[in-house]
Amino acid sequence: MMEFFEANKGLLLFTGATAGKMAAFLGAVMGFTALMTLAERKVSSLMQDRVGPNRASVFGLAFNGLFHPVADGIKMIMKEDFVPGRAEKLLFTLAPFFALVPVLMLFAVIPFGDYVMVLGYRVDLQIADLPLGLFFVLALSGIAIYGVFLGGWASKNNFALLGAMRGAAQMVSYEVVIGLTLVGLLMIYGTAGLQDMVRSQGGLLFGFVPAWGVVYQPFAFVLFFTAAIAENKRAPFDLVEGESEIIGYFLEYSSMRFAAFMFTEFLEIVLLSMLIATLFFGGWQVPYLYEAGFTLPGGARLPLNHYAVSALQVGAFAVKTVFFSWFMLIVRWTLPRFRFDQMMGLCWKALLPLALLNIFITGAVLLALGKI
Amino acid sequence: MIGVKKINNKPMDLLERIYLWEIARGLSVTMRHFFRNLFNPKAMPTIQYPEEPIPLAGNAKFRTRHRLKVRADGSPKCVACFLCATACPAYCIKIEAAEYPDNPVEKYPASFEVDLSRCVMCGMCVEACPEDAIAMDTKEIPGGSLSRSGLMMDKNTLLRNLPGEPSTLGAANRLANGYRGVK
Repeated sequence: MMEFFEANKGLLLFTGATAGKMAAFLGAVMGFTALMTLAERKVSSLMQDRVGPNRASVFGLAFNGLFHPVADGIKMIMKEDFVPGRAEKLLFTLAPFFALVPVLMLFAVIPFGDYVMVLGYRVDLQIADLPLGLFFVLALSGIAIYGVFLGGWASKNNFALLGAMRGAAQMVSYEVVIGLTLVGLLMIYGTAGLQDMVRSQGGLLFGFVPAWGVVYQPFAFVLFFTAAIAENKRAPFDLVEGESEIIGYFLEYSSMRFAAFMFTEFLEIVLLSMLIATLFFGGWQVPYLYEAGFTLPGGARLPLNHYAVSALQVGAFAVKTVFFSWFMLIVRWTLPRFRFDQMMGLCWKALLPLALLNIFITGAVLLALGKI
Repeated sequence: MIGVKKINNKPMDLLERIYLWEIARGLSVTMRHFFRNLFNPKAMPTIQYPEEPIPLAGNAKFRTRHRLKVRADGSPKCVACFLCATACPAYCIKIEAAEYPDNPVEKYPASFEVDLSRCVMCGMCVEACPEDAIAMDTKEIPGGSLSRSGLMMDKNTLLRNLPGEPSTLGAANRLANGYRGVK
C-alpha cells in the first residue's frame, strides 16, 4: 500500500489538490450565484424605489430577504416536472444539461489567485491551467448554444422553436464578435493561457498605471462587454427569452429543468464577470502588490507575508467579480430591449467592423512599436 | 377640426447614435436611485403593510374598520335588531342576541362578528342602523392576515376604538345615550 502511495505521490497530490480547489471554488461560485438570484431582484427593486423581496423568513427572521433563494429552490423542487406528450423525451431531458454543464466546465480555467504554499507544496489557484484557455472558453460557449436550441426544438412547441431560432441566431452572431475582440488581447499578451495573461497584467505602465488589459484595449473591453451581455441573452438583448411577453426556448420547461436554465443564466453572469476581470481588469492582481508586499510608485514598501498576499489577491478577484456582476444587473434593469433587426444590425454592422478595426489598429501600433 | 399632434422626430445626433453616452446617462440615473435607496432605505415611499399602519389624513372621509359605539355606561348601543345583517350585501355580519335580565324592552348583542374576508366596505350596515350603533370611522384600514380567523372581528374588537381602549366616540350625549333602565 505504501509503495502505491510512494509510486503515485505526484498524481495523488495533484488529484487531492484539484478536488480541494474544485470544492472550494465551485462551492463559492454556486453560493454566490444563488445570492445573485436574490440580488437580481433586490438591485432592480432598489433602482425602482421599491423594497424588493423581504418576506421569506425562518423562525420569524427574514434578514431582509436572505432566505428567498432557499424558498425559490424549495418551490422549484415541489413543482410538477412536466414533459409535453409530443416532446422528444431524451433531448428534452438532455437540453438543460447542455446548457448547464459547459458553463460549469468553464470555471475550471478561471484563475482566481496566483498560488499558495500548503505544507510546502505549491498549489496554483486555478483548477486547470490550460495553455489554450481562451480557446477553451470560446469552444465551450459555442456548445452552450446546443442547450438553447435543443430545449426549444425538443419541446415540439412552435413558440419555443421560434425562441430557440432567435437564440441560436443571436448567440452565433455575437460569438463571432467575442472571438474577434479577444484577438487584440492575444496579440498583446502573446499567450492564450488565462493564468499567463493575468501574470502579464501585473506590471506598471509609465511607472504608475496598472498594466491591465483595459488600459491597452479599452475599445475591446466595451465591445466584449456588449457582446458578452448579448451572448448571455440578458437585457437589452433578452429577446431570446423575452420573459415578460414572448417567452423563449424554455416555454415548455417546468420545475428543476426550468431552474437549470435559469441558474445557467446567473452562472453565466458570474462567469462573464470573472472573464472580464481576468482578461481586462488584471484578474487577481492588486495594483502595486507584488509577491513580497506592496511597493508604491514612490518607492514606499509595505512587506506582507505570503498568505496575506494570496488572501488579498483572491479577495481582489472576488471584489472585481462582484462588481461586474452588479454592473450587469444594473445594465439589465436600465436599458430597454432592442428589436431583433436592431440587435442583428448592431452585431453585424457595428460591433463586427469595430472589432476588426480594433485588431487592425492593435496590429499597426504593435508593428510601429516593433513588438512584432 | 381634427387635432393634429406634431411629433418631433429629429434624427439622432452622433452622440445618440453611438449609444454609449446615452447609456451612461441612463446608468447614472438608475445608479443614483440605487445608492440613495441602499444607504437611506427610509427615503423609499414603501410602507410595510400590514405591519405598518397607513396614516390617513385627519379629515379623510374613508370607510374604515367598523366599530360598535357604546353608551356612557359602557354598554353597546346596539340592540341586536339584525337590520345591519339584513342590509349587508356580503352577508359578513353575524349577531347573536341576548336580553338584559333587568330590561325586557331592549336586547343586546351577545356576540357581534364581522367577517372582514367577506366585507366589501360598502357602509350599508351604517346606513341601516336605527340606533346609530355601528360606524366605520376608526381611520384604521383592516390589514391582511395569514389565517381566516385573523380576519374575523369579534365584539371586543369592534368595541375597541384605539388599540386597547373601549370606543368612546359618540358617547358624549348622556341624554341620548343613557341606558334607560326600567324603574
